[in-house]
Amino acid sequence: MKKIGHLLAGVAMVGIAAGTGAAFADDGDVVLRLMPRHTDAHVENFNPYNYGGPSGYVQDFAYEPLWIYNVFHPDQDFPALATSYDISDDLMSVTYHLREGVKWSDGEDFTADDVVFTFNYSKEHPDFPIGFDHYNTETDSGSITGIEKVDDHTVTFTLNKPDSLAHYNIGIVFPLPEHIWSSVDDPKNFANVDNVATGPWTQITDFSRGSFQMCRNPYYRGNDENPIDCLMFPQLSGNEQVIAAITVGDLDWAGDGMTDPEITYTPKSEYNHYWLPPDGDTNLQLNTTKKPFSDLAFRQAMSMAIDRPTILEISTFGLTTETPYPVGTGKFFEAWFDDEALAPYKYLMEYNPEAAAAKLDEAGYTDQDGDGWRDNPDGSPIDFDMRVPSGWTDWVNTLQTVSENLQDIGVNAKLRTMEEGAWFDGYPTGDYDVYIMWGETHATPWFIYKSMFNPGSMIPGQVREQAMHQMRIPEIETLLEEIAATTDVSEQHAKMTEIHKLVAENLPVLSMFANPSWYQYSTRRFTGWVTPENPYVRPMMHGGVHERVKHALSLKPIEGAQ
Amino acid sequence: MRFLMRRLGFYLAAFAVAITLNFFIPRWMPGDPTTRIFLGLRGKLTPQAMDALRASYGYDGNLWDQFMVYLGNLAHLDFGVSTTNFPEPTSSLLFYSAVWTLLLVGLATAISFVIGIGMGIYSAWNRGGFFDSVFTPVNVMLNAFTPAIVALILFYAFSLQWRLFPLGRAHDLGIEPALTFEFIINVLYHATLPVLSIVIVTFGSWHLGMRNTMIGLLNEDFVALAKAKGLSDQRIRYRYVARNAILPQITALALTVGYVLGGALITEYVFNYPGLGKFTLSAIQARDYSFIQAQLLLLTASVLIANLISDILNLILDPRLRSRTQE
Repeated sequence: MKKIGHLLAGVAMVGIAAGTGAAFADDGDVVLRLMPRHTDAHVENFNPYNYGGPSGYVQDFAYEPLWIYNVFHPDQDFPALATSYDISDDLMSVTYHLREGVKWSDGEDFTADDVVFTFNYSKEHPDFPIGFDHYNTETDSGSITGIEKVDDHTVTFTLNKPDSLAHYNIGIVFPLPEHIWSSVDDPKNFANVDNVATGPWTQITDFSRGSFQMCRNPYYRGNDENPIDCLMFPQLSGNEQVIAAITVGDLDWAGDGMTDPEITYTPKSEYNHYWLPPDGDTNLQLNTTKKPFSDLAFRQAMSMAIDRPTILEISTFGLTTETPYPVGTGKFFEAWFDDEALAPYKYLMEYNPEAAAAKLDEAGYTDQDGDGWRDNPDGSPIDFDMRVPSGWTDWVNTLQTVSENLQDIGVNAKLRTMEEGAWFDGYPTGDYDVYIMWGETHATPWFIYKSMFNPGSMIPGQVREQAMHQMRIPEIETLLEEIAATTDVSEQHAKMTEIHKLVAENLPVLSMFANPSWYQYSTRRFTGWVTPENPYVRPMMHGGVHERVKHALSLKPIEGAQ
Repeated sequence: MRFLMRRLGFYLAAFAVAITLNFFIPRWMPGDPTTRIFLGLRGKLTPQAMDALRASYGYDGNLWDQFMVYLGNLAHLDFGVSTTNFPEPTSSLLFYSAVWTLLLVGLATAISFVIGIGMGIYSAWNRGGFFDSVFTPVNVMLNAFTPAIVALILFYAFSLQWRLFPLGRAHDLGIEPALTFEFIINVLYHATLPVLSIVIVTFGSWHLGMRNTMIGLLNEDFVALAKAKGLSDQRIRYRYVARNAILPQITALALTVGYVLGGALITEYVFNYPGLGKFTLSAIQARDYSFIQAQLLLLTASVLIANLISDILNLILDPRLRSRTQE
C-alpha cells in the first residue's frame, strides 16, 4: 500500500563492497541512524504536534507519553511518564500515577501541573492537535469532561459516560512542559527550536538541511542503561536512496516500501535484514446505498469470486498477509479471533467462482439485455468502477485482479485509477461504487469497528474513509457501547466475537489482506533488533508507533563495528 | 526600439497572466496541503485536526480573499511559508534549491554545449569520415535515452557497486558550506555523476544541430571563396563557418538557460540532489501552494528574461531585423 518507487523496477542491483559507516563517530559517540520520514530538506521545527513533519522525529524519542501500549503484547505495556493508572469502579474516571523524580531536559521538574496544563492548553487551542478527546456539550460528542490534580504526581481525568477504553486515547498523549508552552500563544505555528522534553534523546545538534542529531537528554532517568548517545536523521527522499543507504552502512533502521526484497535488498549486504509483520487490513468498501451492493447475495458472490491467493502472491508481490475471516480486520488482531465461531464464514474468503456465479444466478442477476454482462434483477445494467490512486502499485494490481475475477463471472466491474488527491476528495461525498481502502490499527479492534460503524461518519458530504460502506448495523453500535462499559476482558472478547459475526453476516466491506508494515534494519553496527523470532515490540520506526523508543533503547552497539 | 518596446509589453502581459495562473492552477488540482499529510498518516488524524492544519496554513477562507492576500504578499516579495517544509519560508527553500540547480544544470548545460558544438564542428568538417559516421548516430541515440535509465545505471554502477562516487547529496554531511578548496572539490565530486547523467542525454542535440547548420554553410560560396584565397583550413573552419553556424545554437542556448531553473527532476531524485526539480515535485504532490507559486514565478521570470536576451541578441546579430525596426 505504501507507494513503492517504480524507478527500481527493471534495474538489477549488483553486489556491494563493504561499507564505511561507523557506529562510533569521531568523537566516540554511539549514533543510531534512522529515517522516519522522507524529506527534501530538514527544517528547524521540533513541534511534537506538527504532524506535517517534526512529529515523526520528536514524538516518543524526545517526548514521552503517559503510557506506551505494547500492541504485540498487551500484557507487557511500558509505563512511561505514568507508572500506573486506575479506572474507577463506575468507569467514569481514569487516574494516572505519575513517575516521581522525572525532569525536563532543561532541569525543571515534571509534575502533575504539566499534565493539567497540557489538558487545558489543548482545550484553549482546538486548532492544535494534542489529541485529548474533549467532551463537547453542544454536540454531545467526545469523552473527557475534565481533569483534576490530586497531588503533585496524581491526576484524574473525568469522563462523560462509563468508558473502560478511554485510557487508550489519554495514555498516548505527550504532555508539554508548562514553563515553556504557557507563553506560546499560537502553538500550531511554534517551531519549538529549544525542544524541552523528558525522553532519552532531546538535544538537537549538528543541524543542517542534510541531517541533524538528537542527543542524550542529560536528565533522562535511564541514561545509565542507554548506550546510544545520539539519534541521527539523514535527509533522504526516495526509496532507492534509503535502500542504498542501509546497504552501504549509512543507515541502521528504515521503513520503506520494497517490491522484491529478496532480489533488491537482502542479497546486497550480509547485514541487510527486513521483516514485514502484518499491519492493518485492506478492505474493499462497497457503497451499500447503491445497487447492486445493497444486496447481501451480491456482496457474498463478490467475496467468493475474488482470487485472494493470486492477489497475495502476485498482485502484492507476496508481501501481504492472508486474512482468515470476512470480518474487516485481519492478522493484526488475530488474538481477538474466535476460530470456532468464525469457521462457518470462512467459505466467503475462499476463491470459488462457480459458487459465486450460482449465487448470482439464484439471486436473479442474469444477462437480460444480451450484452454479455449480468444485469440487476430489475433489468438495469450492472456497470461499476473500483477506485484506486494511480501509482499505488500493489493496490492497482489488486483491483486489476478483482476486476478480472468479477468479469469472469459476468460482472462488468472496472478498475479506475485516479490521481491521489482526486481519489481522496472523492469519498466524503458518499457517491461512488467501490473503493479500496486501508484499515486502521490500534491497541484494540474496538476503535477499528468504532470508525467503521460510526453513524456520524456515514453522512453524505462527511463520509469518512472507514465508514464508506454506509451501512448502519445497530446491533454492532450497541455491542460497542457494551464493550466500553465493562473492564471484563473475557466479556469484551465474547462481544467482539458477536461483532465479528455480524460483520461476516452483513459483509459491508470485503476483506482482502493485511498490508505489510515496512521494517528494514542493518546488523552492521547494532544488535538487539526485533525479529520474527523475538517480536518484543512492533518494529517500525515511523511516527505513531510509540513502542519504537523501546526498540531503540533495546539496541546494543557492536564494539568496533565499521 | 519599437520592436523591443513591443516585446517588453508582451512580456509584462505574459508575466501578469502567469502570476494569476500560478495562483489558480495549483488550487484547481484536487486535494489541498492537508490531504497529503492525512494520506501519509493513514487516518491517524481527526477531521478536527485536519481543519486546524488547513487554518494554520491559511487555506481555509474563500479563494478570492486568498488571491488578494497573495497579490499583496507578492508585492512585498513575500512568498509565504512552505507547507511541505513547515514553517520554513518558501523564499529560503527556493533560494537554497535554486543555487544547487543552477550549479547542476548550469554546469551540465555548459559542458554539454561545449562538447556537442565541438563534436558538431569536427564531424561536419570531416563529413562521412570515421568520426562522423560513428559518433553522429551514437550521439543521436544517446540523446534519445531517457534520463531515468542513464541516471540509474550510473547510480547503481558507480555509486553502489564500485563505490567510486557518493550515493547522493550536494556535498558530504560533515563539511560546512564555505568557499574553501576542500568544499568546492567535495561539491564537484558529488556533482560528477549527476552532471554526467544530464550531459549524456543532452549533448547529442547540440552535436546534431551544429553539424547540420555547418554542413549547410560549407556549401556556401563564401567558403569556396575562402578556400580559393588559400586560407588555412583552421581559419575557414572556425572563423568563417563555425562562427556563422553557432548563431542559431546561441539562440537555442539562451532558451535552454531559461529552463535551467525548471531543475532536473529525475537526476535530482536519483542522486538525492537538493535541486528545484525535486522540491517542486514534492510541492506538487503535497499541494504546497506557496512553493508551487513561487517556483512557477521564478521559472516564468527566467524564461521571459532568457527570451528577452535572445531577442536582444537577435537584434544585435541580425542586421536585417535591426534595419527593419529602425524604419
